[in-house]
Amino acid sequence: MSNNLSDLSSRKGLDDSLFSRLGKLAQPTGTPGIDDLEKLADEFLVGKANTYGTTTFYDFLKPGNKGKKVYACNGTACTCSGTQDKVIQELKEHFTEDEIGHMTCLGRCHENSAFQYEGKNYSGTRIADLQEIIENKNGLNRDTYVIHSNGEEILTKPFTTIDSYYAPFREALKKDSSLLLEEIKKSALRGRGGAGFPTGLKLEYCRHTENETKFIICNADEGDPGAYSDRYLMEQRPHSILFGMLISGYITHANYGVIYIRAEYPEAVLIVQKAIDELHAEGMLGNNTNGSGFNFDIKVIEAKGSYLCGEETALIHSIEGQRPEVRVRPPYPAQQGLFNKPTVVINVETLSALHHITEHGGKSWKAIGTDLSSGTKLVSLDSFFNNPGIYEVEMGIHLSVIVNDLGGGFSTGVKAMQIGGPLGGLVPVSKIDDLTMDFESFSQHGFVLGHASIICIPEDFPMMKFIEHLFDFAACESCGKCFPCRLGTKRGHELSVKALSSEYKINKDLFNDLLDTLEKGSLCAHGGGIPIPVRNALEYFESELKPYFT
Amino acid sequence: MKLAYINNQPFEIDAGETILSFVRRHKGKNLVPTLCDSPDLEPFGSCRICSVEVASEENGTVSTLASCHTPVNEDQYIYPNSESIKKLRKNIMELVLTDHPLSCLTCEVNGNCELQTVAAQVGIREVRYPEGENHLDKKKDLSHPYMISDLSGCIHCFRCVRVCDEVQGQFVLSMAGRGFDTYIVKGNDQSFLDSDCVSCGACSQTCPTAAISDVFQSKAINASKKTRTICTYCGVGCNLEVSSSNGEILSIQAPYDAEVNQGHACVKGRFAFTFYNHSDRLNSPLIKRNGEFEKVSWEEAYDFIAARLSASITEFGPDSIAGISSSRCTNEENYLMQKFIRTVIGTNNIDGCARVCHSPTALGMQQTFGTGAATNSINDLEDTNCILVIGANPTAAHPVTGAKLKQFAMKSGNASIVIDPRRTELAKYATYHLALRPGTNVAVLNMMMYYIISEGLIDKAFIEKRTEGFETFMSEIVNMDMDTMEEVSGVDRHLVREAAIAYASAPNAMSFHGLGVTEHSQGTFTVIQIADLALLTGNIGRRGVGVNPLRGQNNVQGSADMGVQPHQGAGYLDITDDEVSMKFNEFYGVEVPKGIGYKIPEMFGAALEGKLKALWIIGEDVVQTDPNSQKVIKALEAIDLVVVQELFITETAKYADVVLPGASFLEKSGTFTNGERRVQAVHQVVNPIDGAKADGQIIVEMMNKMGYDQPDYTAEGVLREISQIVPFFGGITWDNLGKNGKQWPVAKDGTDTQILHQTEFPRGKGYFEFHSWQESEEIVSHGEAYPYILTTNRELEHYNCGAMTRRTSNELLLPGDYLMIHPEDAEENLIRDGDYVCLESPRGKVDIKAQVTDQVNKGILSTTFHFPEIMVNNITSDVHDSEAMCPEYKVVAVRIRKSKGKFKQMGQR
Repeated sequence: MSNNLSDLSSRKGLDDSLFSRLGKLAQPTGTPGIDDLEKLADEFLVGKANTYGTTTFYDFLKPGNKGKKVYACNGTACTCSGTQDKVIQELKEHFTEDEIGHMTCLGRCHENSAFQYEGKNYSGTRIADLQEIIENKNGLNRDTYVIHSNGEEILTKPFTTIDSYYAPFREALKKDSSLLLEEIKKSALRGRGGAGFPTGLKLEYCRHTENETKFIICNADEGDPGAYSDRYLMEQRPHSILFGMLISGYITHANYGVIYIRAEYPEAVLIVQKAIDELHAEGMLGNNTNGSGFNFDIKVIEAKGSYLCGEETALIHSIEGQRPEVRVRPPYPAQQGLFNKPTVVINVETLSALHHITEHGGKSWKAIGTDLSSGTKLVSLDSFFNNPGIYEVEMGIHLSVIVNDLGGGFSTGVKAMQIGGPLGGLVPVSKIDDLTMDFESFSQHGFVLGHASIICIPEDFPMMKFIEHLFDFAACESCGKCFPCRLGTKRGHELSVKALSSEYKINKDLFNDLLDTLEKGSLCAHGGGIPIPVRNALEYFESELKPYFT
Repeated sequence: MKLAYINNQPFEIDAGETILSFVRRHKGKNLVPTLCDSPDLEPFGSCRICSVEVASEENGTVSTLASCHTPVNEDQYIYPNSESIKKLRKNIMELVLTDHPLSCLTCEVNGNCELQTVAAQVGIREVRYPEGENHLDKKKDLSHPYMISDLSGCIHCFRCVRVCDEVQGQFVLSMAGRGFDTYIVKGNDQSFLDSDCVSCGACSQTCPTAAISDVFQSKAINASKKTRTICTYCGVGCNLEVSSSNGEILSIQAPYDAEVNQGHACVKGRFAFTFYNHSDRLNSPLIKRNGEFEKVSWEEAYDFIAARLSASITEFGPDSIAGISSSRCTNEENYLMQKFIRTVIGTNNIDGCARVCHSPTALGMQQTFGTGAATNSINDLEDTNCILVIGANPTAAHPVTGAKLKQFAMKSGNASIVIDPRRTELAKYATYHLALRPGTNVAVLNMMMYYIISEGLIDKAFIEKRTEGFETFMSEIVNMDMDTMEEVSGVDRHLVREAAIAYASAPNAMSFHGLGVTEHSQGTFTVIQIADLALLTGNIGRRGVGVNPLRGQNNVQGSADMGVQPHQGAGYLDITDDEVSMKFNEFYGVEVPKGIGYKIPEMFGAALEGKLKALWIIGEDVVQTDPNSQKVIKALEAIDLVVVQELFITETAKYADVVLPGASFLEKSGTFTNGERRVQAVHQVVNPIDGAKADGQIIVEMMNKMGYDQPDYTAEGVLREISQIVPFFGGITWDNLGKNGKQWPVAKDGTDTQILHQTEFPRGKGYFEFHSWQESEEIVSHGEAYPYILTTNRELEHYNCGAMTRRTSNELLLPGDYLMIHPEDAEENLIRDGDYVCLESPRGKVDIKAQVTDQVNKGILSTTFHFPEIMVNNITSDVHDSEAMCPEYKVVAVRIRKSKGKFKQMGQR
């Protein structure tokens, strides 16, 4: 939000970043002490209000996080599956109410009953082992789920060795980086974070902005409840991300990479760090890679609990230790990003695609999928499917193939799916046959492809309650900067709660005005996106919702 | 010509402008309302009220964009007030009003509330939402003497947060929490008083509602009159807009269209005005009889003074009389005072406070360049790459300029060098802080020049074309011994070298200096070195460079311009020059003296020798603020007639024989000249309080009484006279000064000058002059017996002797002087924070409260002299600048111990 704060934060850079320091200070009790915050402000030459303001923003830094020992997932998939009441009940056997916090989506949507304890995620039946988990804290806790590709394995291709996996990068270093950029542009790869912006153009803008210092940021703040494809890549294919960052750095002449990983994925943080260490050991990171003159280093930054940090300007502010409020554009991050330097923020899955393009050329990627939506896409399916898991599909595949053939159909009655995160569309089962998995098909039908995660809303889950859940999430995660989102998501939530809990009927004109205001007026896609699933619900579940409206 | 369309009509676009600016430029302010936008802030995009519809073809598919941060593009079709936009604005406003108290009638900004205005503009009539969660129960913060917050009225536009960051650079305000629960915090959720707020008031001014305001309710509409004038405090020269009603001043705001301060002000300029009608104000002339002041009529006072002055002239000659004019007064008043002393009394014994502050600047810069004034303007900061700040603490002493320098220092890519014994606010942010031992400026600057030469970073072309004396100068510099210089200054030579390289290699480098340069025995030499640095690197004569003294008092530049100096008349004309003398004789109609008069310290010396019989002092508290107070007191006691023209009974006024009640800046008109040579109009806001008179009128009446025919004081009249004799005022008239004044020299056609020495120097070529470092006589004589060095500084809240600021609520913000002492020194002397410390110099002792801080190095102490209770100048020394006789306030040899007796009891409170 503040150029001055970006500059002041840049004085210490990434090695001793204000944000990481806040995280460290929070470790002992869950929130930094006031005296520590004051000292930190003095050290970084910022105001006490700044360290305090930042601290109070994040779920896992704010004073209310003090003393929290265990966190139950309250993401959409766990909520819809109805497992969490029992989880909390179990947790209460071992922890006081004050010690139990919430995390919004641990990425265990395939088996639910998710909770986090001592920096590890558990799900499925593990809640039954709580006693043992508390006593025995060692080892990573990995889960298993289906990983399947319905065509060529690209993103899901098994990892070999560093030497062979990075061979295309070593080859690329011998060539002019502009050739590499051309291949990416040729591939027509579009960002997988949700907006679908052409990746080649993004890299090109940054490449053409003159500056000695530039940054590549991997947006691994996969906050969309229901999505766990980035988690899959980080935990099981970490080198595909690092590879993509190296290539992006080489193209844009950036020398620093940051992977911003959400706190809800503690295993991913460790695994990615291990992969970075391996690269260092192999001389693939640091100064003068393979004698090419290219210098690049990557740092992991662990987020502290804020969905909005997935928005790129908020993410940049977060790394700087500022409040992660969304910034206006222009200037775009490619012009003025992290520490006011040119920056590319790219999603995990997008980066992972760069290995194939580097190795096989842009044409090879472009040949897959549809004309405007090229390549393959990871889709995550939740526990309502008979075969939950991660599926690599060609763009343009029929949704029905995913639902029925790959996913094996629903295990119980489902009335709709939310596809593409909380800001994604709400697809009624009646529309399954109409949609293909690509940006265009979804947008033509009034939905959004987003991250392409699929979570199911069971038949017995009231649609009004789902709307209430959406507004609750939107209000809770709003950064609070722009008027429409700060006020509108809150009022939307209040209206839905009132309608659910009393005789109150929502004025339909007012509700439409509210959705209009959010959609047109919001500064970013958070407030601007939430009306989409709500409108879908109003359209496809009109009769169910009728009693709540005038 | 590039065009875009507003409601399908074509208009020209300016490169880089936003849609908002484009629409407002062509269609006025009202078509697109805003809430979070402010003229002094970056576009922010939070309120979204400014949304407009934009299409790429006429009546094409529109998208809704916030106009404040979206650049306008060629051939865009903008629909700023379509039906759907009107509805969107109304809907946003409705949401805002779900969380805003609807108590407009009792709100202090009723009628001047931006929210109210926008609500009316969008035509909101009802709030359809049921009552929900809100912030209406937020408590008021009334902790602070000036600032008030009532965050129940906050609309979360962030303007306060942004102005505290983007303008003041203080970061006191932030949002805390998230989403709907966000709220403004001061510090870590403290009160205004407990926070690090510097009371600049910018947040109060920018807040669109009454969520943040001030005790003067400066946004209320109860004023019947608004007067634009110039601040009376420091030499920055901020424009102020003073609200008044029925002859009473209500509040002050800073106009956004002011070139000097762009809507900003500081705690002194904005809030510290209530001294003007304080009950201590003098309201009658006083004559001291039998040791007591008695109220007398003006006539009696004039007769009394005239008789004594005439007698003194007859008996001892005109040189037995001297005048000290005031830099707080207008140019016109200063002009009249020097005219009175020169023409009516017949002596050149006229001097002003510049003697004790920037006389070395005037002298040193005159010697090097030919003009003793800032070469550039403060706004040149926009075009510079490097700042060198020497012996100045602008965030306290020149707060509005200080804030700009701090903004500069915070930005990546800018180089900033601070040379100062103290770790000042600016030093914290600087790229290089050279924390030298007080009294070694010459050593450090010579080191810088040594490295600039040895690194081959001199500007050869500039030196060759525009300077003289370089060869001799260089041979002296290169022969210097860096070991010795490093040792005496205590600054690592590598750090000096790096700073020197930064200054010399910056495309544009700008220097600023303050009293830490001038108030030294080598003050003039240091100024010459700063000027030499500019010559050496070609940093003179264009935007973003130059030598820029931060002048202390509001009109200290002007008083010297007007001839308040014993060696130069009005317009710096050399009084010893025959031709000049003839010109003055003709202009004034009487013969003016040609011998150089007394400088202030010489006046006191002459008094003690019995040679000075009468002294007229306007608005200068020499007892409290000149060094070695006891000597000054003895001198005043030795003078037969001391006339003091003042607002209050100051320490000096106590020693007067006659006291004349003058008027404050709010009570008279005239001009002040700021530190960047900008002559600006001071407009009378209210009449002088009963019994007081404009100082200029007092002088005029005295001149008339003593037989010189001078018309009554009017700003316009005296300025006309000045413009006829002061060459660089030639094109200035009262009417052409406008809102933002003119920077001298002003040509006859009214063209003013932002940058001096663009093609040549008034003395022809810039003159290099080498001076080697010498230890101050104070340290040589007393250093062994008095091993600590005391230096003096200023505090933000107070101004000089404090006669004005101590009579405002600033006193509550900072109630006394204190001594900064390094933790190790404190420990060695068993002194704890809050203890009283007895400071002893060869002149005497004072007791002062300690603040243990690492802002000063070990062995160095620092304090202020704002409070007569302490009288720090009882211990400052008689040592003066060798050239300009400016006292060395900055190096005082002292010893310290924990206080005894009553001061010990007072400690730790």
